[in-house]
Amino acid sequence: MIQVESLTKHRSGVPVLDAVSMAGEEGGVTALVGPSGSGKSTLLRCLNGLDCFEAGAVSIAGHRLAPGSNPGGVLEALRRDVGMVFQQFNLFPHLSVLDNVTLAPRTVLKTPAAEARSRAVDLLDRVGLKSFAAARPATLSGGQQQRVAIARALAMQPRVMLFDEPTSALDPKMTAEVLDVIVDLAKAGQTMVVVTHDHGFAKRAATWVVELAAGKVARQGTAAEML
Amino acid sequence: MSPRLPRRIASIGLIIVTLSCVAAGAELDDVQRRGELVWAADQEGGGPHVFPDPADPRRISGFEVELTELIAGELGVKGRFLQGQWDRLPLLLGQSADCVINGIELTPERRRDYSCSRPYFGYALQLLGRRGAAPASFAELADPGPSGPWRVGVLTGSAAEMEMRARSVRGEVQVEVIGYDGTLDSLEQLQSGVLDAAVMDDCIFAFYADRYAKLRAVDRPFAGGFYTVLTSKATPGLAAAIDAALGTLITDGRLKALYDRWDLAGRQQMLILRDAAEVPPASQRTLVELIRQTLPLLLSSAGMTIVLACASFPIAIAIGLAVAIGRLHGPVWLAPFLTGYVEVLRGTPLMLQLYAIFFLLPKVGLVLPALLAAILGLALNYSAYESEIYRAGLKAVPLGQFEAALSLGLSKWQALRHVLVPQAVRIVMPPVTSDFIALFKDTSVCSAITVIELTKRYSVLALSTGRIVELAVVTALLYLCMSWPLALVSRWFEARLERPAGTTP
Ligand SMILES: Nc1ncnc2c1ncn2[C@@H]1O[C@H](COP(=O)(O)OP(=O)(O)OP(=O)(O)O)[C@@H](O)[C@H]1O
Ligand SMILES: [Mg+2]
Repeated sequence: MIQVESLTKHRSGVPVLDAVSMAGEEGGVTALVGPSGSGKSTLLRCLNGLDCFEAGAVSIAGHRLAPGSNPGGVLEALRRDVGMVFQQFNLFPHLSVLDNVTLAPRTVLKTPAAEARSRAVDLLDRVGLKSFAAARPATLSGGQQQRVAIARALAMQPRVMLFDEPTSALDPKMTAEVLDVIVDLAKAGQTMVVVTHDHGFAKRAATWVVELAAGKVARQGTAAEML
Repeated sequence: MSPRLPRRIASIGLIIVTLSCVAAGAELDDVQRRGELVWAADQEGGGPHVFPDPADPRRISGFEVELTELIAGELGVKGRFLQGQWDRLPLLLGQSADCVINGIELTPERRRDYSCSRPYFGYALQLLGRRGAAPASFAELADPGPSGPWRVGVLTGSAAEMEMRARSVRGEVQVEVIGYDGTLDSLEQLQSGVLDAAVMDDCIFAFYADRYAKLRAVDRPFAGGFYTVLTSKATPGLAAAIDAALGTLITDGRLKALYDRWDLAGRQQMLILRDAAEVPPASQRTLVELIRQTLPLLLSSAGMTIVLACASFPIAIAIGLAVAIGRLHGPVWLAPFLTGYVEVLRGTPLMLQLYAIFFLLPKVGLVLPALLAAILGLALNYSAYESEIYRAGLKAVPLGQFEAALSLGLSKWQALRHVLVPQAVRIVMPPVTSDFIALFKDTSVCSAITVIELTKRYSVLALSTGRIVELAVVTALLYLCMSWPLALVSRWFEARLERPAGTTP
């Protein structure tokens, strides 16, 4: 499902990713761990083409990214199948919670409005926020916003979900609400890559752990072996 | 009150007193003490009156330049030229000019509002057309032209304009009278086919006939009158001295010689001046009468201001947004062109752009009606400013918004359309609204290309009625009625933006 082959990327002459290789199987939850600045976010962003790289290759959900800039069509097709959740939620502040969730299906997949809406309501129900459908994102707590962001990504029915430290902007109580949702997803067989500092969560959910240090893979193994 | 304030008021007062001593518009003895007679004229009005000397455009030439030298000589002083806009020359009296000598026609209104000298020249109004094109006679104006009323150009505020408007109101001619700031403007526009005809003093056409070889005089002159020297009513001594000087110049034959030198039929002029009839001053209107007569005109011109602003601003926004998006997200080769577009339009005056659209495009065969040219000019000019505002607005949307949209599979254009632009539009609402208010006021520049909006109408009415202050108050109130609601809207947007993002009122 996910195959990264000796990925190399520099930023202002400094290697940020140095021949990184890793793999993630279908239905597996890969945790990316490592010290700050080790390249975790950069690797994740290379997986859906938000960042480009100089050498190596990425295969994900049946799509393939080559070094350098990839054509818009390739990127759009890939991102349809690969959802992403950001540390800072990045909800669209000018749209209601419901419209945040229906925007992509309606504009990208051309799903009819009524269908998109009823599926969005189901997803909001799944993350426990059905009653907030009409609210503006800014009126929600951080944990609620992050759960909306997860529902928004899920609305595209992605084959892979990428999470970049989804709880590090949240207090412990809100962290728990969000992690519960992610663990449920994992149980339901969603393929995921999660950048995290939270070893407890990694132990609970990850099937494979990759540890980066200074842009290189330091160790990898099962959660039990690694943590 | 701060203890400094009285002193400051005193010093401002002192400055004003000093300034008014220095300023012209003085009585005869002041003029003679100064040794200079400041006379106002508009060299844009053209020949043979006052025009830039072709041999040295820094100097002015014209029969009125020489006439003024003669008059000043009689007063024992020198003449000093002051440039002004023709229809507003009388406003300079008592401020910075002692007198106005520039083909000012003797009318009852001017007799009422200013001190008018004895006539120094008899003019005749001449209809002009293109060779081989209708109208072939003045009588043809009685019926509409091939495509509606005849389009007739005149100098704004001139007797030609009054005469044609009066005949049009009486239904004697089917014409649309279009006022220009300079006489040559209407000759240009007649030659390039924008106008069907023009009306002006016959001596002007005689002077320029060679340059406008495509044009011809239609019929004999159909009306006429006299030029007078205007002075302020506050300077009767100066007025009397100028009258006496003119008398001397007429009797001793120097005026006839001057006209003969300028090919202005000196003998004929002397005969005309000898039999000049008295023009009685017009009577003063009451304020109620004044407002009743002028308000409908002012209101309809306010309507024109609204049309100009409301038609051009949406176009400006659309172009501005497109340019901003093109510069930030378009192909790399496009950006320098768009930057050039913005810099050229921001770096040159709106007036110049309007002139280019209105006077230059017809030369390459593209004739735009004045209203369309005005709307287009305003829209293009403001699109440059709007594009800068939108560029800033688009940049102010956090990058994470764009990345989140892309991560969902939206294309760059879909992300712009659904995520970036809607947020940028909200961010720039306050500056865009205040630009709209500014545009309302900038519409007044359009009078340069014959569109009569509120400011132009005010200036025409103020001059023809002599009620400058009263009409200024009415006009200012009309502008306030238009911009006040916009200011409220702008403030509402600002308040909405100051609330934490996303909260609904
Ligand atoms: N936009 C950028 N421009 C330049 N350098 C960057 C940029 N983003 C990240 N870097 C650098 O790239 C390296 C890897 O950063 P990255 O964000 O991938 O690390 P990370 O492992 O996610 O760290 P953290 O745990 O702090 O999020 C760091 O040295 C960082 O300084
Ligand atoms: Mg990171």
